[in-house]
Amino acid sequence: MKKILKIIQWLLFVVLVLIGVIYFIWISSAQEPAYILEKTWGEKGSAKGQFNEPTGITVKGKEVFVSDSRNQRIQVFNPDGVILRQFGMNNLERPMSLTIAKDELYVADYFADQIKVFSLQGDYRRSIGRPGTGPGEFSIPGGVAVAENGDLYVPGFTTQRVQQLRADGSFVRQWGITGEAGTFGGKLRYPTDVALSKDGTLFIADGYNDRILAIAPDGQLLTKWGGPFAMNIFGPFNGWFATITGISIGPSGNVFVADFYNDRVQKFTPDGVFLNAFGIKSTGPTHTSIAVAEADDGSVFVADYANHQIQKWRPGK
Amino acid sequence: MKFLLISTTLFFMAITLLWSGSGFAAGTQYNMRVDGLACPFCAYGIEKKFIKTEGVDSVDIDLQKGLVIVKTHEGKTFKEEKLKEIINDSGFTMKSVTEKNL
Repeated sequence: MKKILKIIQWLLFVVLVLIGVIYFIWISSAQEPAYILEKTWGEKGSAKGQFNEPTGITVKGKEVFVSDSRNQRIQVFNPDGVILRQFGMNNLERPMSLTIAKDELYVADYFADQIKVFSLQGDYRRSIGRPGTGPGEFSIPGGVAVAENGDLYVPGFTTQRVQQLRADGSFVRQWGITGEAGTFGGKLRYPTDVALSKDGTLFIADGYNDRILAIAPDGQLLTKWGGPFAMNIFGPFNGWFATITGISIGPSGNVFVADFYNDRVQKFTPDGVFLNAFGIKSTGPTHTSIAVAEADDGSVFVADYANHQIQKWRPGK
Repeated sequence: MKFLLISTTLFFMAITLLWSGSGFAAGTQYNMRVDGLACPFCAYGIEKKFIKTEGVDSVDIDLQKGLVIVKTHEGKTFKEEKLKEIINDSGFTMKSVTEKNL
C-alpha cells in the first residue's frame, strides 16, 4: 500500500513538472496592453451595410474593404462603419480573403476558382487562373497575396498547396504537395490564407495544421509557430491555434492571425513571438474572427463571421 | 347551366395544371450529417461540390444541426456512395443520410 502511494506521489510530481514545462515553454503571456473593442457594425441581411457571412477584410488609408460572401459583393466603409460603396455583384461568386496591391483589389473567389481584380473604386479589371489542380490552376482558393513585382501567392484549400504565379497567371513554384494533406515533409493541411511582408517573407496560414509558416524569398522555411513544435497540436492558449482562417501583416510589420475556433485574433512579431490576443466569444454554433486587417493608425478590423458584423479594435494604453 | 359547365371545366383544368406543375418540381431531398461544419472554408467547399454537380437544384448548410441539405431536380437521385464520395472529396466524412421525395 505504501509503495502504491509513493508511485502515485511520483506520478503526480512528474505531471506537475510537465505542466510547468509546457506552461513556461509553450504558453506565452501578452507583451502589450489589452486591445479595446471600439465598435461593431453590421447585421445579417442583404441591404447596403448589412452582411451575409463576411469572410475577408483589408484596409487602405481610410477605407475598409469587406468580402460579403453570400451577398456576392465587396462593401467599402469608412473607419467608423459608414458605407461608401459596394461592387462585384456581377463578377463574384463566393468572395473570400482580400488584398490590395498597387491600388488594385485582389479577391480570392472560392467558387469561381479564380482571383478577381478590381480597381479600388470597384471597376472589374481582370481574372487570373482557371479551375483545376494543375500548375497555375485553382481549386477553392481562399486567399491571395501580391508581391512588389506583381507575383501572386495563392493557397488552394483542398489542393493542399500554395502556388507562386506571375502576374499573368503562369506557374513559378509551389509549397506543399498537390492533393496530399500532411504535417511533415513539406506538406500542408488545408491552407487557408497567405500574407507577404515588406521584405518578401511569405506567411502561410496552414489552417488545419494550426500553425504559421514563414518562408524566405528564396523559398526556404525561416520559422514556424503554433502550439508545441508547430506540429498540429491545437489549443486555446496564447500562441496556440484552433483552425486558422486568415492572416495579414500590419503596417508595423506585425503578424495578425484569425484564430477561428478560438474566436480571437492573435498578434505576433514577424518571427513568431506572441504579443497579444483579443476577440468576441461566439455563442455557437459557428465562430467569430475569420479575417483581420490593421490600419495605419493601429486600429484593427475583424470580419466577424458568426455575427455578420465588423469589429473595430484599438490598442490599449 | 353554361356558367356551371365553364366553371367546372376551368376548375379541372386548374387541378390538372397544378398536378403537372407539382410533377415538374418533384425531386429528392438528402439530409446528410457531416461533422466539423463550423468552418466556412469547409462548409463552402462542400456547398461548391454539390452546386457544380449535375442535377442538384439547391444546397443548404444547417450549422446548428451539422446538416448538408441537398435538393435535386425532378427524377434526379443519388446513390449513398456518390454522396459519400462528394463529401469525402471536400475533406469530410458523411456520418449518415436520410432522403425524402419532394
